[in-house]
Amino acid sequence: MYRVILASRKTVEWIGLLIVAFLFVFPFLWMASTAFKTMPEVRQFPPTLLPETWEWSNFAQAWESGPFLMYTWNSILVAVGILILQFLTAVPAAYAFARYKFPGRNLLFGLVLIVLMIPGQVIFLPIYVQLSGWGLVNTLWSLILPYAASAFGIFLLRQAFMQVPDEVIEAARLDNASEWKIMWTIMVPMAKPVLVTFGLFSFIYHWNDYFWPLIMTNSDEVRTLPIGISSLHMSDGGTLWNVMMAGNMILILPILVIFFVAQRHIIKAFIYQSK
Amino acid sequence: MFSMKKTGTILCALTIGLSGVLAGCGSSGKEQSTSTGSTSQPAASTATSGPVQIDFWYALGGVRGKTIEDMVKKFNETHKDIIVKPAYQGAYQENHSKVLASVAASNNPDVTMVEIASIAAFADAKVLEDLTPYSQGDEKKYIPGLMKNSYWNDKLYAVPFNRSTPLLYINRDMLKEAGLDSNGPKTWDELVSFSQKLSKKEGDKITRYGFSTPVDIWFYEALVFQGGGNILSENGKELTINNEAGKAPLELWSKMVKEGIMKNPPGENYNAWDVAEQDFLNQKVGMIFTSTGSLTELKKNAKFDMGAAFLPANKTFGTPTGGANLVMLAKSTDAEKKAAWEFMKWMTDTEQTVPWSIASGYMPVTTEAIDSAEMKAFYEKDPNFKVAVEQLQYGYPRPMAPGYKELQDVIQKELQRAMLGQATVDEAMQAATEKGSKLLKK
Repeated sequence: MYRVILASRKTVEWIGLLIVAFLFVFPFLWMASTAFKTMPEVRQFPPTLLPETWEWSNFAQAWESGPFLMYTWNSILVAVGILILQFLTAVPAAYAFARYKFPGRNLLFGLVLIVLMIPGQVIFLPIYVQLSGWGLVNTLWSLILPYAASAFGIFLLRQAFMQVPDEVIEAARLDNASEWKIMWTIMVPMAKPVLVTFGLFSFIYHWNDYFWPLIMTNSDEVRTLPIGISSLHMSDGGTLWNVMMAGNMILILPILVIFFVAQRHIIKAFIYQSK
Repeated sequence: MFSMKKTGTILCALTIGLSGVLAGCGSSGKEQSTSTGSTSQPAASTATSGPVQIDFWYALGGVRGKTIEDMVKKFNETHKDIIVKPAYQGAYQENHSKVLASVAASNNPDVTMVEIASIAAFADAKVLEDLTPYSQGDEKKYIPGLMKNSYWNDKLYAVPFNRSTPLLYINRDMLKEAGLDSNGPKTWDELVSFSQKLSKKEGDKITRYGFSTPVDIWFYEALVFQGGGNILSENGKELTINNEAGKAPLELWSKMVKEGIMKNPPGENYNAWDVAEQDFLNQKVGMIFTSTGSLTELKKNAKFDMGAAFLPANKTFGTPTGGANLVMLAKSTDAEKKAAWEFMKWMTDTEQTVPWSIASGYMPVTTEAIDSAEMKAFYEKDPNFKVAVEQLQYGYPRPMAPGYKELQDVIQKELQRAMLGQATVDEAMQAATEKGSKLLKK
């Protein structure tokens, strides 16, 4: 009897999960399907779930509509560059917040939390003016430097570092390890799942970011993929949605690959956090 | 993983590299600005000291963006002393924010596209250059109906470039089948009676609507003009829609929605436009309001006899114009401004505006262009394209006030509240007026 209830509860859980999963996956499937359709089929009603004829040329058309190789390269440079800088700044900051007592610590951490709450759009103008003064507008640096420190990263890593048992650090100190060494060889490996998760969040955010690159850049040489794809969109009607979606497929493909590779770590990070 | 030494070296290398590049970029940026500064001055006096470079920011993507790039290329080939660098900057709103930011940082473009309702805001903020000294009467070549959004405080600040009006699009096949005049409804009353006859019901479900329009500020403006009203008072300081002419459009639309003969397309802003056009192409609705800018694409995709007509009249016909104008930035140097005017003039000349109009569906902007043999032949082949130009005789400028960009969002939100039944027509107009006058007093 108990087993039957357990089994049926399992089934209900499964169905619930499948429904939720479908809700999240469906837009992706829809995008993929649209990317392969012909324009008359995109406009067809009732809509078809799978393309009747597979129009592979949409991808070529999207790719050839601009210097997409350059956009891709720029996107990689920016997203990876930001990631490296954020690691280099967030790890020491988080370590200090988690493991040191110093005057003004709470105030400083409060400031970090405040940064979390201010959207970039609100403060873009002073940053734009400052970068312009340095002659950096329309360079890749204008896309990377403003994000060199991440409040979210500091916050997340601090939580992870605080969970490392005191004994581990005590033992390392007894072995005469320097603080620098403790940080990079003990703390960082222990927080690996969190680091991977944060890395993914950061990478995806900056890979997809549209507003900042649009504001900071004027020429194709320094522009990133999302801007290239948005330029496929016609104002005042008449957008080729199939080509647009093909462009979006190109945009999200690297992210999907990275996600599948790093999936294990993400799940770990959340289990780790909830302990 | 990382040994201490290694990380140390990496960090050092990175900081050095970073500061090196930073310094490098900074100095090169400075060099650039001083060098353009020094070359631009002699360029103003003598024409031989190298070409002037100007930046042009535009706000149209897709095929139209390509057409613009091609036009600029042609300009550069035929003008040895000027180099125009075009750059796509997102849609109108994004370009708008970006131009303002760039002016604050003094690295603004020299020419840009500005949506016509934003001209006043830019001119009022002293961002734009007065064009009168450059044009010297040249502005008379433009169609007068398109020029009303070019002036602010009696000064010329803009020339028309990609311009449109809303049109009534009709499914002629559907109208014929229902025994209706295939030229479409001429008045609001006819719009209602046509819609009644075109709508179809299966049981309780409406399978076809006669009419659909995005509940958008642009179409609302049109209907207010048709009732003899205006959005703003003459001095642009007051909102004047809390009256009969201001309420009539909402009353018409909400009555038609309630009766089940008009569909209120769901979606924010341009998404609603997409829905309306999609429904029209799939023959789920018989008539829609949308921009003349959609004519080329809709015609290509319609599997029925598609027609364009004037927006139906209430007391009179009436329509706002739309699209964007070209403007020159006040912060540019004299040499850049001279080159900028040369470019703006060329882009809107008959020789350019005719092929631009044919390729894009926007209206040609000079009177000479409308009378040209090429345009006439094009109109003869498809008279639908001429409707927008003819409707211009009933054209009104879009309301001019520095705060209109924000104000139109306020009005639109109230319109939608009323359409969704969250407010009565009176409440919506009352709320819009209250919130609106605060914006206008700023």
